[in-house]
Amino acid sequence: MSAKAAREGKFSKELHATIEDLMTRYPQKKAALIPAMHLIQKEREGWFSRETIRDTAELFAVSDAHVQGVVGFYDMFHADPVGRHVVRLCKTLSCMLRGADALKDHICEKYDVEPGGTTDDGTFTFKRFECLGHCTTAPMMLVDEEKYEELTPSKIDAVLGGLS
Amino acid sequence: MISETRIMLEFADDPAQKTLETYRKNGGYQALEKALKEMKPGEVTEEVLKSGLRGRGGAGFPCGRKWQFVPKTDKPKYLAINADESEPGTCKDRQIMELDPHQLIEGALLTCYAIGAETAYIYVRGEYPHSIGALENAIEEARAAGIVGKKILGTKFRCDVWVHSGAGAYICGEETALLTSLEGNRGYPRLRPPFPAVEGLWGCPTVINNVETIACVTHIIKRGGDWFAGLGCEGSTGTRLFCVSGHVQKPGVYEFECGKFTLRELLEDFCGGTLSGRPIKGVMPGGSSMPVLLPEELDCQFDIDSVAKTGSSLGSGAIMVFDDSVSILDAALNVAEFYSHESCGQCTPCREGSDWVRKILKKFKDGNGTQRDWDVLWSVTDNMDGTTICALAEALVWPTQSYLKKYEAEFKAAMKSEAGATA
Ligand SMILES: Cc1cc2nc3c(=O)[nH]c(=O)nc-3n(C[C@H](O)[C@H](O)[C@H](O)COP(=O)(O)O)c2cc1C
Ligand code: SF4
Ligand code: FES
Repeated sequence: MSAKAAREGKFSKELHATIEDLMTRYPQKKAALIPAMHLIQKEREGWFSRETIRDTAELFAVSDAHVQGVVGFYDMFHADPVGRHVVRLCKTLSCMLRGADALKDHICEKYDVEPGGTTDDGTFTFKRFECLGHCTTAPMMLVDEEKYEELTPSKIDAVLGGLS
Repeated sequence: MISETRIMLEFADDPAQKTLETYRKNGGYQALEKALKEMKPGEVTEEVLKSGLRGRGGAGFPCGRKWQFVPKTDKPKYLAINADESEPGTCKDRQIMELDPHQLIEGALLTCYAIGAETAYIYVRGEYPHSIGALENAIEEARAAGIVGKKILGTKFRCDVWVHSGAGAYICGEETALLTSLEGNRGYPRLRPPFPAVEGLWGCPTVINNVETIACVTHIIKRGGDWFAGLGCEGSTGTRLFCVSGHVQKPGVYEFECGKFTLRELLEDFCGGTLSGRPIKGVMPGGSSMPVLLPEELDCQFDIDSVAKTGSSLGSGAIMVFDDSVSILDAALNVAEFYSHESCGQCTPCREGSDWVRKILKKFKDGNGTQRDWDVLWSVTDNMDGTTICALAEALVWPTQSYLKKYEAEFKAAMKSEAGATA
């Protein structure tokens, strides 16, 4: 969507229609908030600016503070700008046992990025995440919506090196 | 020799099982047809009671009994299926949703029929886009075929099934947090009573069950409660999905009848022992929130009641194994980091306590732990136990105290000798 439309507090027509449809699934439309916020975040460059928070609140007839609170509570919503991709590397026990910490060091060194940070060229934001539910094929990471299991440094490089 | 008994995973290796056509060819939606055309709702519940099915989400509550708590009222009733699957080590519900999603949808419809609900929400953790996609496709196919929606299979029964995505918060797997989250809020647990079966979503009666529990319902109605009760052992009937992870040769998600093997047989015979060939140092038998078992404690039969007798729990069916190359200080800190990050912050003992435990364990790991820290670890965890709204606090206390108790020597050896204050 264009920056102008975003400034005017409008979501794209398609997104509007999808959210309206989501709202019909519940007796109270507020229940569609979190599923809708995934779509909103995607349309608004991957994060919730003050403006996006205001637009979301307006659409759902809740306070800005409510939306802000939801953004802060859930790890998948971002309160700050992110890179073009989000890389989530699991840090929890099964992945730790299978070498996830060394993989973290590898990513930090090779791509010059800290956990929570974004590469200088804006390609990806790197996050350590708690258990991502692929413990039997640990260690694992999610890149946007794609999953990569039984990771090794070379597997990681094949994926991250191909991001644009 | 242990072998799998595959019921929920019977067709999991066939990629076409995801489609309605193949699911039906393999006997799918026969249970629903039978229930809607030949059984009263109460008879569905009776069959589930007879099966002995206990919840697969961690607490092992008898499923049919929970359904019976739903009061007779004119209010709408809801089914909320817990697919938040975030307990470390657990990745079984994903197999059902991604490999054979229709059995979950069929179970959802059967459960709604039994409890008098017309809407089911499947609350899937946001980090599971593949599960969400597989379920949405399956629901769409079922809706187009007259299996979800109005006049299901030509009967008067109507029921909608919706996928609802979470957004990354472990606490939303706790049943009351799941409800507050589903209503569009931060996922804060609520005090009970009222129990969700009486007052849940939008103040209406709501049954909350785990994905695997609901998948079992499909097979129970298809083949009978007596058949299910004949599998496994008393107290742990049917089959269960187990996720074995960590330092084993053959990690994976497997389906077994409980009570037919010991944990040692599972790990040594079935999973090929440790990856490195080194001795096992510890096993978390039911997710990271349960007390650890030492190598000499692995000879218990593997079912809910036998594992409970060891002082631990079968929990969510996630078995995490570590060999003797692992420092218990690292493992304990990793677990504490998880629960302190996931504490929702409502209760002071949990919010402050989990943070405190994490900081002290970090001190131990860095070689700066003291006798005083050791004492504080015990008193802080004692004070967290049973003083909070939900069981997340205990989910940190139980494993942590088990590490302190069972590997005391390792903590003591890592301690600094001079006395020092903490925090
Ligand atoms: C902190 C915490 C996290 C939980 N996480 C989950 C979860 O991810 N999935 C789940 O099914 N149950 C989870 N539970 C258990 C649920 O509260 C609830 O008991 C369960 O969903 C009921 O379903 P069942 O009776 O079919 O097992 C959790 C409980 C607690 C205290
Ligand atoms: S025990 Fe912890 S997670 Fe549970 S409600 Fe209290 S603060 Fe939140
Ligand atoms: S511990 Fe990493 S996916 Fe579960």
